[in-house]
Amino acid sequence: MSETIHVEISENPLSVQAACDFVMDDAHGAIDTFIGAVRNHHEGQAVQGITYDVHKGLAEATFNDICLEAQGFWPKTKYYVSHFQGELDIGGISVIIAVSAAHRGDTFDACRYVIEELKKRSPIWKKEHYPSGKSEWLAGHSLNDAADADVSCCGKCGG
Amino acid sequence: MSEITIQIQFYGAFRKFGASQSITLASGSNVTHVKQALSETLGALVHDSVLANDNAVLPNSYVFEGDAVLSILPPVCGG
Repeated sequence: MSETIHVEISENPLSVQAACDFVMDDAHGAIDTFIGAVRNHHEGQAVQGITYDVHKGLAEATFNDICLEAQGFWPKTKYYVSHFQGELDIGGISVIIAVSAAHRGDTFDACRYVIEELKKRSPIWKKEHYPSGKSEWLAGHSLNDAADADVSCCGKCGG
Repeated sequence: MSEITIQIQFYGAFRKFGASQSITLASGSNVTHVKQALSETLGALVHDSVLANDNAVLPNSYVFEGDAVLSILPPVCGG
C-alpha cells in the first residue's frame, strides 16, 4: 500500500512539482494545491521579508494529525504538506499543500481544511522584516484555544 | 521536598530572551506552576502560551516528578 500522507519542515526551497508528484494517483482525477508566499505588505506596512521559526517535531506531528483528520472527513484522499523554516524574501514560498482525490470537490474542501487548521494549530512563528530595518514577531493564535474547532484564522497573523 | 530543574526552550517572540532558560521548582509542580514562574521573567505573553515536550502540548495539570526539557510555545501563525 502506498503512502497517502507526506509532511515536512524544510530549510530548502519548497517544490510544487514534488507535491504534485507525491499525491498523483491513477485513481485520482483531481489535485488541488495551496501555495503560501511572502507578500510585500501587511496591515498597510511595507514588508521586505519574513523569518519562519518552527518547532520541527511538533509541527510535523501536527501536520500529520490534520491530514489524518481530513482523511476521516474526505476518505481516499492523499496529502503533501511542506512548510519552510528560515528566512524568505518577497515572493518566497512558505508553504505548499497538495491534495488529490477522485473528484475535485473533495480536494478543494480538504485543502482548505488543512491550511486553516495548520495556521491555527502548528507551532510556527513569523517575524516580519521592514524597510526601516526593524523586525517584529506577529501576533497569532494561542494554542490554549486549539480545541475550538470552529475558530477560523483571524488574519492578524499575516495569513 | 526535593527540587527539580526544568529547562525551557524558547521560540518566536520568546527568542529575545535567548535560546532557553532553566528554572528550579519543587518536585510535584505542574504546568501551571511552571508558567507562573516563567511569567516573572518572560511577562504576560506566558499566559497565552503553552508548554510542550517533544511529543505534545501539555495540559495545565501535568505534573513533573523529575527534571524535564520543555518548550514554551507563544501564539502561532504559520502559513
